[in-house]
Amino acid sequence: MAIAKAERLMNLALCLLGTRRPLSKRELRECIEAYMETFGPDRGGPGDDSFNRMFERDKDDLRELGLVIETVENLDGEVGYLARRDSNRLPPITLDAEEAAALGLAAKVWQQARLAGAASGALQKLRAAGLPEDVDPYEAHGALEPRIPVHEAAFEPLMLACRDRRPVVFDYRKATAAQPAARHVEPWALECWRGHWYLAGWDRDRGAERVFRLSRITGRVRTRGSGFTVPVPDVVTVRETVAGWAGEIADRSARIRLRKGAGYPLRAKATAVRELGDGWDELDIPYGHGLDAWLVEFGPDVVVLEPAELRADVVDRLRAVAKG
Amino acid sequence: MAGKPVRPTNAIDQTRRMLSLVTYLRERPGARIEDVARAFGITEDELVSDLDVLPMCGTSFRGGDLLDIDTDGERIWWHNPAALGADAAEPLRLAADEATALLVAARAVATLPGLRESDRQALLRATAKVETAAGEAAGASARLSVTFESEGGVFADVDRAISERRRLWIRYYSPARDEVTEREIDPIRLVSVGHTYVEAWCRRSEARRTFRLDRVAEIRILDEPAAPPEVEMRDLSQALVQPGAEDPEVVVEVGPGGRWVAEYYPHDSADELPDGGLRITLRTPDPASLRRLALRLGGDGRIVAPSDLADSARRAACEALAAYDGAEAGAPGAAPRGGGPVHGRADGRFDRQEQGL
Repeated sequence: MAIAKAERLMNLALCLLGTRRPLSKRELRECIEAYMETFGPDRGGPGDDSFNRMFERDKDDLRELGLVIETVENLDGEVGYLARRDSNRLPPITLDAEEAAALGLAAKVWQQARLAGAASGALQKLRAAGLPEDVDPYEAHGALEPRIPVHEAAFEPLMLACRDRRPVVFDYRKATAAQPAARHVEPWALECWRGHWYLAGWDRDRGAERVFRLSRITGRVRTRGSGFTVPVPDVVTVRETVAGWAGEIADRSARIRLRKGAGYPLRAKATAVRELGDGWDELDIPYGHGLDAWLVEFGPDVVVLEPAELRADVVDRLRAVAKG
Repeated sequence: MAGKPVRPTNAIDQTRRMLSLVTYLRERPGARIEDVARAFGITEDELVSDLDVLPMCGTSFRGGDLLDIDTDGERIWWHNPAALGADAAEPLRLAADEATALLVAARAVATLPGLRESDRQALLRATAKVETAAGEAAGASARLSVTFESEGGVFADVDRAISERRRLWIRYYSPARDEVTEREIDPIRLVSVGHTYVEAWCRRSEARRTFRLDRVAEIRILDEPAAPPEVEMRDLSQALVQPGAEDPEVVVEVGPGGRWVAEYYPHDSADELPDGGLRITLRTPDPASLRRLALRLGGDGRIVAPSDLADSARRAACEALAAYDGAEAGAPGAAPRGGGPVHGRADGRFDRQEQGL
C-alpha cells in the first residue's frame, strides 16, 4: 500500500525544518521513505520526471500551510532546500483565558471547508504555543452560535484569486438577463452581507469598478496568468453598492396611505405616521431603489399619494398583475 | 452543543495538525488523549489516526531517528523528544490562509451587537495580538470581510433570557400574512446565518420555531421560567426551512426580469423557457403566502398553479387599482422594471421559518 500523503508531507516538513544546511533534492529523496518506496534511488532514469512533479507539489502544499522554504544554490551549482527556524518560528504571543475563549468561538464560525480547516490550523498552532485551553467557548459566550455561510461554488477560487492578486474570467448572469456573459475581472475583495457573498473588482471589459453577486456566477472561475493592470484602491466598498441595489440608500421621501394593522415593516421605516381616523394611516417613508415593487406586495392595503412617478410605477405594476 | 462537524481527511490539514501536535506533546509528557483532542478541536479517533502516522515520521537523514511516540489508549508518551533537535519543535508561524480565516471570523464575531462587552473586548485584544504575531500573513485578511446583522436590543434581551432561562413575550411580524402576532416563546439558542435568528419553543403553536430578530416588533422578558421540551439540536447551516414533500406545489413562470425568484426560493425545478425566462416549481405549506410574490413580480412573472392563488393575486391588484380612481388611466405605461427582491424582505429561503419547522 502506498504511504499516505500526510506521512510524506510530514517527513518532508521535518527534514526541511530540522536541517541547518540546504538539502539537495537527491538527499531529500533518499531520506524519505515514501519517495524511496515509489521511485527508488536517484538514477537519472525516466522515473525522475514523476518524482520531480510530486516533489514540487509537496513543496507547494507545505507552503500552503505556512512553511517558508528557501531555495539555495551551493558552490557546485546544486540546488538545496531548507526551512529556516528563524523565518518559520511564531513570534511570542500570550493570550489570557478570555482571549483564548473568544478566538475559540471565532475559529468555529466558518462553514467553508478550506477556511474552517485553516482556522482550526491557526488555533492549533496557537495551542502549541501555549494558548490557554480550559474554557469552553460556548460556555463563555452563552447561547450565541454565529455561522458564516458559504454556499457559492465560486467562493474558493475567487478567494484565492483575491489573495494572490490574479485576474479571473467567469460567466455571470445579471439579475435580469437570460444568458450569462463572460466577465474579465481583477478581483479585489469579497464581502458577505446578509448571508450572501459579493465580489468587488475591476471589470476589464467595462473599464470600471463593479460588484458581483457570487450566486449569479455560472460555471467555473478561471484564473488568468497576467497581473493586475489597475491599482487596487486602499478601501474597497462593497456594502454601500449592495445597499444601493437593495434600496437602502434613499435620497427622497414618499407619502403613502396604509390600512390600519397592515404593513408593519413600512411602519418601522416610516419617518412620520399620521392617523387619518377612517381605518387608514398616512406615512412618510424613505424612497430608494425598488420601493415600487415592495409597495405592490401589500396589494390593496397601500395607496401611493406622492411623488407622481412612484404612483405611476406602482399602478403599472398592479395593471400587469391584474391582466394576469 | 451539537456534535463535532464531520471533516473529510485532508492531507494538508492533517500535516498542519501533526506539526502542531509535535510541539504540543513535547511540552506535555503523558498528556491524556481526551484533553489533547479537545485542545485541538478534533475527535479522539482523528487524534489516534495522527498517533498512528507520527512514529513513521522523523528526520531520517540524520541517522534514522523516527519519532518514538506511542499511546496506551489513554495517555500519550514520547520517548525520544530529542529526536527533532533542540529547536526543531517550536511553534510555527501562521500561514496567510490561517491568519485570514481566524482574523476575518474574529472581526465578524466582534460586529455582533449582542456580544457581551467583556467578550468583545477580549476578542478585540486577541485579534490585535494575532495580527501582530501573524505579521505579513495578516495582510491578505483585508480582502475578505463578513458582517453579521442583528437587532441590538432584541438580541440582548434574547441572550439574557437564554442565560437566565426565562420565557419571552414577543410581537412578531409574519411577512407571509402581513400581520403582527403576539406569542410567548421559550428561547433555546441564537443562530447567525446572514441574519440572526432565535430558535425557540413557541407556546402558541406548541412547536419548535425560528424567529428572525429583525422581525421582532416588540419584546419583553417574562418572570416565568422557560421550559422548552428536550429537543435534538439540528444543523441549521444549510437552510432554516426545507419544504416538506407533502407540501402543495406552486408553479411560477417568470420572464428574464423575474429570474431572481430561483435564487431566493428553494425550489424543486427551474426549467428554461424560450423567452429567456424560467418555469419554477416549488412547494410550500402555505401557498397563500406567495400572493406577495405574485404581486411583486408584476409583469415579470405569473403564478400558473394553483389557479386560486393566481386569482387571489389578480383580485388584490384590481382592488388596489380601484383606489387610484382611474386618475392614471391614460398614463403612459412605463415598462415594468426588473428589480430583484430587496434583501431580507423577499428572501424565500428564510421567509417561512416561523410557520413550519
